[in-house]
Amino acid sequence: MGREKEKEKPSEKALNLLRSRLTDPNFIFRPLSDYPDSNYSKLKFIISTSVTEACNNSILLLGPRGSGKVAVLELVLSDLLQQYPEGISVIRLNGLLHSDDNCALKEIARQLCVEHQLLFSKVASFDDNSQFIIAMLRECGLAHKTIIFVLDEFDFFAQGKQRLLYSLLDAMQSVNSQAVVIGVSCRLDVDQLLEKRVRSRFSHRKLLFLSPSKEDTERFMEHILSLPVDSNIPHNYAAEFNGRLKKIFSDDRFKELINTYLSFNFTIGHLVRFLFQAVSYMDLDVGFLSLENFKTALSSNQRQPKLECIRDCSILELYMLVCMKRLEVKEQNSYNFYTVMTEYKTIHDSSQTSDNYAANVCLRAFEHLLQRQLINFIDNRGHNQSVEFRPVKLLISSAELHQGLKSYHQCPAILLKKMDR
Amino acid sequence: MDMEGSPQVTRRTTRSCAVSSNDVESTKPSESYKPTLNDLAFGKQPFGLEDLLSRFPCRRTQILEFLRLLGPLNSPLFPVLVYGGPSTGKTSVTLQDSKHSYSSVKRCERPSDFVNYLREALENVISSLKGNSGKSNSKMSGRPDGTMMPEVGLIFISNISPDMYYLNIGYVEPIPLYFLNYTEDDLRHIFMVNQTNRKLYASFLDVVLRPFCRVTRRVDELAAALSSLFKKYCEPLSDKEVAPNEEMKRKLFSQIRPHISSALNETFQVRSQPLLGAEANKTKKTNSSKMSGILEDFDKIDFHMSTSAKYLLISAFLASRNPATLDASLFDSTGVSDSRKRKRKASEKSMDQKEMAEQELHMKGPGTFPLERLLAIFQCITSLAEDSLDEEESRELTTEGSSRGLMSDVLLQLSSLCNANFIIKGGSCPLEGSTRYRTAVSEDLALKVARSLKFPLSKYLYRR
Repeated sequence: MGREKEKEKPSEKALNLLRSRLTDPNFIFRPLSDYPDSNYSKLKFIISTSVTEACNNSILLLGPRGSGKVAVLELVLSDLLQQYPEGISVIRLNGLLHSDDNCALKEIARQLCVEHQLLFSKVASFDDNSQFIIAMLRECGLAHKTIIFVLDEFDFFAQGKQRLLYSLLDAMQSVNSQAVVIGVSCRLDVDQLLEKRVRSRFSHRKLLFLSPSKEDTERFMEHILSLPVDSNIPHNYAAEFNGRLKKIFSDDRFKELINTYLSFNFTIGHLVRFLFQAVSYMDLDVGFLSLENFKTALSSNQRQPKLECIRDCSILELYMLVCMKRLEVKEQNSYNFYTVMTEYKTIHDSSQTSDNYAANVCLRAFEHLLQRQLINFIDNRGHNQSVEFRPVKLLISSAELHQGLKSYHQCPAILLKKMDR
Repeated sequence: MDMEGSPQVTRRTTRSCAVSSNDVESTKPSESYKPTLNDLAFGKQPFGLEDLLSRFPCRRTQILEFLRLLGPLNSPLFPVLVYGGPSTGKTSVTLQDSKHSYSSVKRCERPSDFVNYLREALENVISSLKGNSGKSNSKMSGRPDGTMMPEVGLIFISNISPDMYYLNIGYVEPIPLYFLNYTEDDLRHIFMVNQTNRKLYASFLDVVLRPFCRVTRRVDELAAALSSLFKKYCEPLSDKEVAPNEEMKRKLFSQIRPHISSALNETFQVRSQPLLGAEANKTKKTNSSKMSGILEDFDKIDFHMSTSAKYLLISAFLASRNPATLDASLFDSTGVSDSRKRKRKASEKSMDQKEMAEQELHMKGPGTFPLERLLAIFQCITSLAEDSLDEEESRELTTEGSSRGLMSDVLLQLSSLCNANFIIKGGSCPLEGSTRYRTAVSEDLALKVARSLKFPLSKYLYRR
């Protein structure tokens, strides 16, 4: 019992360590940022120069989702906050929440108050807030304190009249302030969305976050999954773990697997998620990662939800789907429950099947299909019609339906026949 | 899925669950923070893996995978999306599993709850150092969640598959976990749990489960349908505890067979009261005459409506089905319906046109009518009814009083019919500005109501 506990402990510790590593963005992005030419160093350079030289600046961080823009930004900010503890204050806004100007100004004022231990009044008007912000900018400029505005989901701020952006950038230019505006967005063309007056005040600095190259990816995976030799994990276990890991990485099948995954999901975020799944499938009894874990993770990502839905349907529901498909083939593009029922009846009249059910049962099956989102109402306005009369459309293509029927356990042959014609 | 052979192995191989649950139990009394509670009353302390697997008989792979994703105690968690058809046990399994390894589990139905729980949980995190786990039930669109704090784990439970949730919002994509619908064997397993007389129920299921599975595979609907059928199955047996042999099984099968198809057609109905007389009749009938028995059965509507409400329902039905121009000829002052047209031999073209028209009628559904038309038809019908009443029962009712009684609360009846979804209030016509109504009852129900009032509805219906 004692020996068993001994044996379980290292693998469990390793599992814990790997899981916490994979969920910690700092750990993931620091090694990727250690090169002199990386986005991290460029960003750090820009912000620190504006801090030291007391000037204004603006920059956009662009890249697909999961490529680490906010993570790298947080790394830079935390480093700078350590370097200049009194010289920086950070204001964070999110385009999803604060795209309305009133809301945004209120939030900026609130964060400034919190930062400088001032009292924030919730009933302050828009003008009050904007005057307050301009005054704060001036004061901070005089005190050589840089305010950094982080605008997440920048494309949402660029909708509408862009009043917030304009007032912010304008204030930066006119008042004697030290501010940096950092926009983060997943749209690579977000600067085209800016109005002319805003764009003229925005410096055209962009940092692109692209997915790393293949070698970098491999190095990254090795770095993340290798156990450190100096922690509280026993040394020989860690060494064997790392050795097996290296063997897996050099395996051709693994390379193929990773390539398959990365061809669809190429950002670091996706890769980390995949590794998390693989790590969580690790068998604690064996205690080491194996190729099987990665394969299981890949297959759980390659789901086909519509086929799964079809496999879950009952036979009556399949009948309804096939009837709708036939109606579509007959060029009736909008159909409702009653027309589907007439088709259903004709199928049963032509070939005497045992599946002839009453209208209320079929209506329930119809509602199940709606619930599972295999069919959907064509328009959402028709709430003053009962369910039987509202037109519906199929959300599944005929190829998927065909495949689903073929793989259905004990599918009645007549359904396949009707589909084929 | 051989569960019986491997209980010993699972306890050892599935890892820290067995170990950590003991730890959790022993350290629980020394924790100072308040035990958080979810909405469902799962009162037990975390128990071993075996109990978990036996409570959910056919969910072994899903439970194991979920436990793997949750990880050992106190390890951080990627967001997980649990999805699958309705009544597949997602919520109960998730809650049980998380209670198993996490110390505080919360279940939220609305986003506001989630935010509140999160705030509470964060306050707890600062005072205590155990892992927390929050959940949110997202049945509508996906919710953005950009942050991923190590102490809070998020589990989303949803009815529809994740490909319906692709929004361009920067949330961490959760790891999907799929709960399949049960197969027929699984269903048999599930229904056999907690049965007193297993052999009898097994023979019942052999006969009944397959046809019912062709209609639906949801556990809740099947349970409701099968329970009433099982009572019928056991009727001829005097001793409910006996295990049936082959001969008895065959007899029971032949006895239940005619009922299966009728029960199939009523699978989703909720009986308001047992139709005792009709059941006694049914057992004597054979297969061929069963159909007429069913029709007689359905003549009765099993809910109560006042007379004026029934008339209102019929007038609404007529108003929706007939075009407005026909009202004058149908309801003229002599009260004689005039829907008999001279029958001409239908030509091929007019037959096609008729078919198209009928299809259009089916597609469009019942038409809308304004309130005035409804009241006019209602008045005509009720005056007809009173005339016929007068002919039958000479002057028993005072016509004046009863007619005023019928009219006075008709608007009240109309609003209650609207609430019961027999009449739907539609949009208003932009020119006139009054609201229009539409009927939502099927023809069968209208015929039944008319029959109960002895009103000749079919004479008034416009047939193209």
